[in-house]
Amino acid sequence: MDTPEKLLELAESVLKSSEAAGADEALVAVSRGSQVSIERRGGKVEQATESTTRGLVLSVLSDDRFSSNSTSDLRPEALKAFIQKSVASTRYLEPDPARRQPDPALCGRGVSEETLDQDDPAWRTRTADERAEQAEAIEKLLLELPRTDRISCSSYVSDGRAESVRVMSNGFRGAEAGAWFAAGGDMTLEEGDRRPESGAWFAARHLADLPSAASIAQEIERRVTERLGSKAAPSGTYPMVLANRSAGRILGVLGGPMSGGSIHEHRSCLEGKLGASIGSELFTLIDDPTIPRGLGSRPWDGDALMAKPRTLVERGVLKQYNIGVYYGRKLGMEPTSGGRSNWVVPPGVVPLAELLAALPKAILVTGFLGGNSNGSTGDFSFGIRGTMLEHGEPAGALSEMNVTGNVTDIFQRLVAVGDDPWEWSSVRSPTLIFDDVQFSGT
Amino acid sequence: MVQTLSPLHWFGQFGVDRDLIRRVLAEATTHGADDADLYFEHTEATSVGLSDGAVNRAHTTVDLGVGVRVVLGDQVGYAFTEDLSPASMLKAARTAAAIARDGGAAVPQFIESVRDLPSFYPVDRHWSDVDLSQRVPMVRDWEARAFAKDPRIRKVNVSLGDADKHILVARADGTVVADYRPMTRAFVSCTAVDGDARESGAYNVASRGDLSYYAEDRQERLVSVSVERALRALTAGSPPAGEMPVVLAAGSSGILLHEAIGHGMEADFNRKGISIYADKQGKRIAPEGVTIVDDGTLPSARGSINVDDEGSEVEKTVLVRDGILEGYLQDRISARHYGVPSTGSGRRESFRHPVLPRMRATYMEAGTHTPEEIIGSVANGLYCEVFANGAVQIGAGDFSFYVRHGRLIENGKLTEPVKDVNLIGFGPKVLEAIQMVGNDLEIDEGGWTCGKAGQGVPVSQGMPTVKVGSLSVGGGR
Repeated sequence: MDTPEKLLELAESVLKSSEAAGADEALVAVSRGSQVSIERRGGKVEQATESTTRGLVLSVLSDDRFSSNSTSDLRPEALKAFIQKSVASTRYLEPDPARRQPDPALCGRGVSEETLDQDDPAWRTRTADERAEQAEAIEKLLLELPRTDRISCSSYVSDGRAESVRVMSNGFRGAEAGAWFAAGGDMTLEEGDRRPESGAWFAARHLADLPSAASIAQEIERRVTERLGSKAAPSGTYPMVLANRSAGRILGVLGGPMSGGSIHEHRSCLEGKLGASIGSELFTLIDDPTIPRGLGSRPWDGDALMAKPRTLVERGVLKQYNIGVYYGRKLGMEPTSGGRSNWVVPPGVVPLAELLAALPKAILVTGFLGGNSNGSTGDFSFGIRGTMLEHGEPAGALSEMNVTGNVTDIFQRLVAVGDDPWEWSSVRSPTLIFDDVQFSGT
Repeated sequence: MVQTLSPLHWFGQFGVDRDLIRRVLAEATTHGADDADLYFEHTEATSVGLSDGAVNRAHTTVDLGVGVRVVLGDQVGYAFTEDLSPASMLKAARTAAAIARDGGAAVPQFIESVRDLPSFYPVDRHWSDVDLSQRVPMVRDWEARAFAKDPRIRKVNVSLGDADKHILVARADGTVVADYRPMTRAFVSCTAVDGDARESGAYNVASRGDLSYYAEDRQERLVSVSVERALRALTAGSPPAGEMPVVLAAGSSGILLHEAIGHGMEADFNRKGISIYADKQGKRIAPEGVTIVDDGTLPSARGSINVDDEGSEVEKTVLVRDGILEGYLQDRISARHYGVPSTGSGRRESFRHPVLPRMRATYMEAGTHTPEEIIGSVANGLYCEVFANGAVQIGAGDFSFYVRHGRLIENGKLTEPVKDVNLIGFGPKVLEAIQMVGNDLEIDEGGWTCGKAGQGVPVSQGMPTVKVGSLSVGGGR
């Protein structure tokens, strides 16, 4: 099963067999992938893993009864039994015609392969020695740092490539392939009874886009040093400076309530809020699956709907939900897209340093520790790591603190947007500054 | 009762035999090794779901594969394949063997020694023998019960999932063990609407049991607790923010142990010196009367295993005895480092993952106080009853857990309901601050999953009612 043609051949034959077994509609997705990772610690390779993986997903609709199934056992006789069982399992269920496949006119590639540029040819020529050298370089730089408080440091390097094909009874045929590369590391320091730790991890679609070993090591040291001397500040309301790389956690609280499923289930604090203000004028949020080399980019979504950029929130006003085909039918709404791709908050123009200098006292949040949110009400409460800032200057590391708020309220408090979008994630947000946010500490 | 035949019986149907195992292990140890193993897995999982008044979705998953691990000191080479053909397995073995290419210890020839296992989760029937048509009426009945309990319940979502997992561990030292691991989990979630207020509540139960696990009282509890939580949340508010005394209710409060100490007691973090408990063996870390264990042998518990995922015997491990740190959770690599036996804590999510020391069922032994005494001793504080999730920083020692439902304590009495608040603390400080331990130990019946290094494994947790002197409460006022 080595070539894309073979994947397609297998998918087509499973589709045909499913229809012959009684499925009125079927979706077959076949994927294969390879992945390699190296982890170093103590001057040697601690773990090396390598794998080639494969799988098949089959969704069937028979008399409007739906089942979805997956298997990694692709032996012909096992697959035959799997198909029979997948179709037979629908017999005991109740009809759910909303599961029918979408109008084929809505399906297809929304952005060209060339634009997405996800399949870096460098992956094919990357050697085991190159990976080993990269991991060794990061670790060596960490080990050579002139520090007496270092307990342990590690480096990680990994990469992989996946290809998949999808065929559907509505006529959709799609194939995609993409590579990814990641590198990072972490460090633990000694500080009395505590062992502060931090790390940095970068991922990219193209090898050449990854930061150098030197900048990775530098970032790791910067982040762990920032953790020294951490303690809780008094409880109260402070301006919150949400670091670009951590913005995904607060933005993510919107994800559940924006989904068609939660609106349908009446579990969404955003139900009935289309067209209403859920944030300040500074808050715009775009779902963009078409970003070249984007980690969340894709040519079509889970329903095979063509990918297109969508403005979810425009200058504070909620413009769209994430509605897939199934919940669109249940809600009587046009489908937008059921899933998230890249989430983009457009950056501001004022340099971040200038924005920070204007704040006499603020809490910079650089990471989260646990916590959760309630999609029905929008309430959230998260443990945080961070730094107290005074006029933009660090004034003490913070730990053992929580931030608490409501997602329908917090973006109304968005008072400034940095000029520093984070590019190493599918959430591309600059640093965000909020006024009067509730923190608990001592 | 379902009897396991020969350890090779199950995987024989996929073409795995003694000769193949011997060849693959020989290939894996070409360059020598301190340890090597093969981990075969075949899992069949099924779930059915109900929404909008209809049992309208079913999912099945089949997972089959083998992981090959080669260990040299604390170095690990790992490869896996979903294709159990000799060619694929030998290729994976060569890949894993590369870790030792600079030279490892010679490995003695594989001489098979089959070990019998204890049976902590006997079942009468495998889940694959339970027809979908038997699951559907159960799910429908739970929905009907939920709607009947209160007119404010507007939506009900139900799922019933189960799995048959067969594993086979073949070690370079000749040990061959096989285990059958059933799992079932039921989930009921309700949306309640009252005027403008809408809230949801959920409850779930999980076990390595068979269909008989769903006794009438458990089914009733599954529904009634879910409904009660949704209704209670309608009127619950946010507690005040800041440090205050906290009383943890018996049962799922075990999440505090899991995060505040459990992860820090996993031997890999200590061997590497990155756990806050790395130099605390034999030292006092909690008041007298506090005994914390991690137990893989609880009957039919979600976190129980008859054998660990590298073929070691499973036990009840004492982590803290009467306040003194006793020992870590050991897998074989760490046990060799410390010169102690494995505690049977080597676990992995699947054949796609290498072994790590992990928790199984973590709980605190019961103390002497009644829950009423404990609540009565608090002037103003928070009573935490239902938890969603937690997290920890192993070295820094900070941990947090999210309380979905609780109550304020005012003048020694439980008063208004509160919800959705995160609590955060410094592990060692919180253990020292345990002031009272209740006589009401309860192992939570919920379906907890523990995440570490990208791997999720099923765990259990338990706790008697416990009073902690002070924790930082992420309240909204």
